[in-house]
Amino acid sequence: MSDPHDLPKEVFLDEVHSFEFWFQAVAGYLTERPNGHDPSIEEADLNSSEREALITTLCNYAIGETAALEASSGMIRFAPNRRAKIFLATQVVDEARHLEVLLYRLSELGVTHLEEVVQSRANRSLLAFRKRLLQFVDGHDWEAALFAQNVILESMEFSVFQAHVERADPITGDMLTGIIKDERRHMGFGENELGRRLAETPHIRARLQAVKKELDPLVLDTFEDTLEQVGVERSERPELGRSYLASVERLGFAL
Amino acid sequence: MTDPLEDARSPRDRAARQRFVLDDTGFDEVPKKYRRFYRKWGGVNDALARNEVLCPVCKVVIRSTRELRPGDRVYCMPCMSRLVVSVGEGGRLEALVAY
Ligand SMILES: [Fe+2]
Ligand SMILES: [Fe+2]
Ligand SMILES: [Zn+2]
Repeated sequence: MSDPHDLPKEVFLDEVHSFEFWFQAVAGYLTERPNGHDPSIEEADLNSSEREALITTLCNYAIGETAALEASSGMIRFAPNRRAKIFLATQVVDEARHLEVLLYRLSELGVTHLEEVVQSRANRSLLAFRKRLLQFVDGHDWEAALFAQNVILESMEFSVFQAHVERADPITGDMLTGIIKDERRHMGFGENELGRRLAETPHIRARLQAVKKELDPLVLDTFEDTLEQVGVERSERPELGRSYLASVERLGFAL
Repeated sequence: MTDPLEDARSPRDRAARQRFVLDDTGFDEVPKKYRRFYRKWGGVNDALARNEVLCPVCKVVIRSTRELRPGDRVYCMPCMSRLVVSVGEGGRLEALVAY
């Protein structure tokens, strides 16, 4: 293989959005992770408060993953180009897997009545975010849905999951590591697709800035709440917030 | 015969680029044939080689078989970004996203 950096732009874009690329990529790290994690890892001893905090966190991850599953599948219908439609199909599969392995992990932690427990521990701001995201999808609003899901939600998840991995029990950490590898694609797709869109149609920027203003408090509240549960010191949170905001800033939105 | 384009380049650009043999470091987020062109980033203390640059979007190290110079274009396949190499703070090479 010669340097992939020499590929013509269109060939590169076709390649990374393709089902074939996705299939070969995930085969590399999912084959050894049945049910989301390496089966040879032993369960750590969690005390009851650690276990409760972990259950609440995983329930909220499940809410976020459900939102992404519902939104990304709906977006295929009105995605403006073939590459985006095919890529979103791979994202739908990823999000379904994330939801499934999170629920599996909850059952390993002894949770029964999964759906009820997830609902009962849901963060209100995250539920409000999900509702708003699905309104954008129902309205076939491509830019707002892409921005809310693939830029805002994905970059928040990416930052939170990475912070959590550093502090997690070994099984949860391994499961999150597998999820992060998928989220890297989803987040990159969002920023790049939206970046191209903004370059072609700059007038959408003002509208998206308003979407950002509306969603910011919901995202930041969820972010704070989760980082608290995961055990991130207050002093470290601004740094994580910055990495989450970096993509929004690169796209040229006021923070 | 001299190539006029060749002459227009700066002496540094004209200097032959160092070549690199890339090995697979275990980065598994892209199909096998692309794996050696990427590696995991070790954080702020990870010194990048002259053929490497950090993806600002997903924080993966992008590698080339050639020494990288400002103006070069590279692709981050793990997050599907197109990037342009530029000189950042302290003269270090950094990558900017080109949507
Ligand atoms: Fe996900
Ligand atoms: Fe995702
Ligand atoms: Zn990247």
